[in-house]
Amino acid sequence: MIYSLIGYYSLIFGLIFGLFLFYLSYKNFKNSILLDNKIIVFSFLQFFFVIISFLSLIFSFVVSDFSNVTVFNNSHTTKPLFYKISGTWGNHEGSLLLWLLVLTLFIFIFLVRAKNQSVKYRILTLVFQQVIIIGFFIFLIKTSNPFNYLFPIPNEGLGLNPILQDPALAIHPPILYLGYVGSSIIFSSVLAATTLKMISSSWASHIKKWVLISWIFLTLGILLGSIWAYYELGWGGFWFWDPVENVSLMPWLALTTLLHCILVLEKKSVLTSWVIILSIATFTLSMCGTFLVRSGILNSVHTFANDPERGLFILIFLFVLIFLSVFIFFLFHKDDGRNSYNFFWMSKETSILLNNWFMMYFLSVVLIGTVYPIFLDVISSQKISVGPPFYHKLLIPFLIPFLLMMAIGPKLKWIKSNLDDKLYLISLFIISILLAFVILKNFSQNILINTILISSALYLFFITLRDFFVKKYKKISQNIAHFGFSLLILSILFNNLFSSEIITNLKVGETFENSETKIVFESINQKKEKNYNSIVANFNIQNSKGEEDTFSPELRIYNQPVIATSEADIKTTLMSDKFIVINIVQNQDFFNVRYQVKPFMMWIWLSVILISIGGVISFYKK
Amino acid sequence: MKFFRFLIMTFLLISFSNLKADNYDTRNKITKNLRCLICQGQSVYDSDSEFANSLKILVDKKITEGLTEDQIYKYFKEKYGDWILYDPGLNKNTYILWLLPILLFLIGGAIIYKNFIVRK
Repeated sequence: MIYSLIGYYSLIFGLIFGLFLFYLSYKNFKNSILLDNKIIVFSFLQFFFVIISFLSLIFSFVVSDFSNVTVFNNSHTTKPLFYKISGTWGNHEGSLLLWLLVLTLFIFIFLVRAKNQSVKYRILTLVFQQVIIIGFFIFLIKTSNPFNYLFPIPNEGLGLNPILQDPALAIHPPILYLGYVGSSIIFSSVLAATTLKMISSSWASHIKKWVLISWIFLTLGILLGSIWAYYELGWGGFWFWDPVENVSLMPWLALTTLLHCILVLEKKSVLTSWVIILSIATFTLSMCGTFLVRSGILNSVHTFANDPERGLFILIFLFVLIFLSVFIFFLFHKDDGRNSYNFFWMSKETSILLNNWFMMYFLSVVLIGTVYPIFLDVISSQKISVGPPFYHKLLIPFLIPFLLMMAIGPKLKWIKSNLDDKLYLISLFIISILLAFVILKNFSQNILINTILISSALYLFFITLRDFFVKKYKKISQNIAHFGFSLLILSILFNNLFSSEIITNLKVGETFENSETKIVFESINQKKEKNYNSIVANFNIQNSKGEEDTFSPELRIYNQPVIATSEADIKTTLMSDKFIVINIVQNQDFFNVRYQVKPFMMWIWLSVILISIGGVISFYKK
Repeated sequence: MKFFRFLIMTFLLISFSNLKADNYDTRNKITKNLRCLICQGQSVYDSDSEFANSLKILVDKKITEGLTEDQIYKYFKEKYGDWILYDPGLNKNTYILWLLPILLFLIGGAIIYKNFIVRK
């Protein structure tokens, strides 16, 4: 009760401080020699009150205060403490409060850290950020107040969706939001810099750090979501081209493009318009993601809580932001064309342009694939599905030249260059093709496209691997990230090609056997936990090499809410994962058993971590 | 003679199990491209709902009837509509879906070539 009160009024205070900040900024902007200390103090206070509000929501969850509607809807007394806490952001209201928390945190850090930037620039960035923050305050208080009362107070809550009761998913939203919301700073500061006509090399080096922060968190956030989908959804896949996954991928693609493009701006002060557009697009895409997920428009495995009216608010808010940025762009930004816009074919500039070109293509495929079915449904009420085959057909052919350019591009110098050492570039290329042939010699399906794909990924792999050992090659962050990407593509390809799978129905005591695998369904027993009961099935699986493993996949029946889930049992080794999951077949006494051997699973995760390490190194580099 | 019979039997068995394995792969491939209509964004292959299971059996039946992959897709499309197929074929509803990204790619390339590249 008391926590809800504190939480709610903290939000109101936060909103009031936001309005004060507009006033202070206005006064300070007119007379801008020094940044008014009050501004920093007030943004700290705003952040502080949002933290208080957030903490009171956490406390409400911890003590299971069911007078709070959010807690009632998403918690239960028998839930372990960890999931009571993570339940705070496992729902719509709480996750928006988290959005707000990150928004206010970032602008405060920005104000403190950007000391050597001009005062006007810092104030304007704050103002634009406050527009977003106030929008979210109103959104939260009007449509999604996390502190609504419930009377009479129920004794028990409804519980948290069991598939959200998971460690990876507990930390996935905060990390992802740091990435999403981090792009708000890029958005605000690009608008400020455009207004003040200070988009230049020095601005580029300053904003690069913020781009990197968002990018690192977004990468890791997507990774965590993917790992969660892999072991929790129980299908053995890790990326489904599901709309909710796509909306997290889109800002990532835009951000990655921006990251490359800013390198050119940093060096040559060109492509200013493009950088502005990309920065605006990144945040807009993050907002669109929130809109699409929260409005319930999307049909997806990940949409747990949604409400059309909230969608309308976000949509209007989104239009306001887009209108504001387009207005500023056309009013203030004059591309004076004094810089030479001409690049030579063989130059780093051109290779980055080509990168941007392809990245924008990938982005447009994902964007169109995600929203087109919605539009078609609205316009002609025809329902179509756009699934993996669409994305594969449009993306894979373009991935091949993209991989090759990723290998060559970083070797080119600014302005104009020639490739020295053509010999090793060509010989590595030939080696890659030969190796791809050897790997695929036993395959009959799609041999051509797979060989080409694997060759180009191998090429990038070898080139970047070699560069680690070349002394004069100093761009370690870039090299790690590109190396990680080649590893990612290779692992995904090998994982796809060499996975094997057995689906069968077994009773207790039965055995399944084929030429490679012997599955013995030994026994079942029951287990009682605080928040669920489960049936544990024990399997002994032997492969052709005689290696034996025991597995115990579970069927869990959660008590609050009553939902049955399958928990896969996964044996992870460096080179391959063994994955088993069971399901009940209705009115039958056997279980549906699905056993998969998935090579290079671990490498998919590791390579994404490598990619983000590249970002971290670049962040700490002077 | 006995030996001969044994040989034929083994041969039949092997070829039969091969056939079965092939069918099995085809079935997985097909069910991966079918949406489970009552689930939230799962394919028939991934789902264990009753609907999905009955569809799996139906796919098996169609394969043993000798229908090709495309014929099976066509059959499901006629029965349940486009919504069930994860691969939206190229037709008047999807021209924009398939061609717009490629068009954008070409436009992007033209812009880069025209504005940025030095011509000799």
